[in-house]
Amino acid sequence: MRELAKIFIAVGTQSVGGGTSVLLLLRRFLVEREHRLSEREFTEAWALCQLSPGIHLVALAGLLGQRIAGRRGVLVAVAGMMIPAATITAAMTAAYGLIAGEPIARAALAGMAPATGGMTLGLAIVLVNGARRHGLRATVDIALVAVAFAVLWATTLSSVAVIVVAATFGALFLGRERPTSPEGASE
Amino acid sequence: MEPLQLFLVLLKDSALALGGLGSLPLLRQDLVATGVVTDAQLVEALAIGRLSTGPSGLWVVSLGYQMSGPLGAAIALVASSLPPLVILPATAVARRWLLSVPFAGLVRGAALATAGLLCATGVSLIAPAGDVPSWWQVAVGIAAAAFTYQGRLHPAVVVIGGAGLGILLAR
Repeated sequence: MRELAKIFIAVGTQSVGGGTSVLLLLRRFLVEREHRLSEREFTEAWALCQLSPGIHLVALAGLLGQRIAGRRGVLVAVAGMMIPAATITAAMTAAYGLIAGEPIARAALAGMAPATGGMTLGLAIVLVNGARRHGLRATVDIALVAVAFAVLWATTLSSVAVIVVAATFGALFLGRERPTSPEGASE
Repeated sequence: MEPLQLFLVLLKDSALALGGLGSLPLLRQDLVATGVVTDAQLVEALAIGRLSTGPSGLWVVSLGYQMSGPLGAAIALVASSLPPLVILPATAVARRWLLSVPFAGLVRGAALATAGLLCATGVSLIAPAGDVPSWWQVAVGIAAAAFTYQGRLHPAVVVIGGAGLGILLAR
């Protein structure tokens, strides 16, 4: 159990930049270096995690921890990955707070805002590419994206309602091909 | 915002989102539109989430810290870690249903709607309502979208690059 904790703490503290690097490190430690799981087990767990709500990598850590060490493995894996990373995130936020009022920080924010906005747009495009179907069916999928965009942009309707309606619509009409969005899901 | 209320908002928005950034449009509607946090705080949290270690969904921890200090960060950590774990009992009791055609459609519908909501949020971060962005801010937004889509440049580099351009051009 201590070895498992070490692996997930290492992933939580060494993976800079988000989902892709977390995924790569998990695979490197658990499949290639420690041989705790087979390539197939890892890939299957990742495919299942894309169906989970929230942060898919938390679901992945939980599933892998459970497969390796049962219920205690879930706790060790999730806490090992998330608590150190969250502590680093909180410390960085506190450090930024010390200079947030300075002119240089405000100028940096003027550049960070469009950068994060653009990254959000880029992620949305990755998500669409992973989830949309092909041929004429893609038209329906793109229309759904456009409607969700328009609702948030031009109305005061709840985003939750948009997701619930779209998920219901999807369950009824969009289920002919499975979605495959490894990159978008890794976020 | 009271700790319990903060926990419930973060839990709800995480539970209804797909992926770590999927909760962004929901949280913006719940927290920015109601004046609890500002768009600037949201951007700072997103940037720190990209620069920090761990899943990028931890930007919520940065937001929680800005709202209520270490307690807010802890609340955000717990609230964003619980919903994904629903996959554990779900795979145990309903693995076949998770792999069914209607469930695939449900996930696809939610993913496409999330993409649309993220598009609207991304555009409004580049060009906030009632505010005309500079040419260089539009260029930064387009470049960041392209780099993220291609996936070749590390996200932290994109954020640092944007901050550097801001320091050069916005002062």
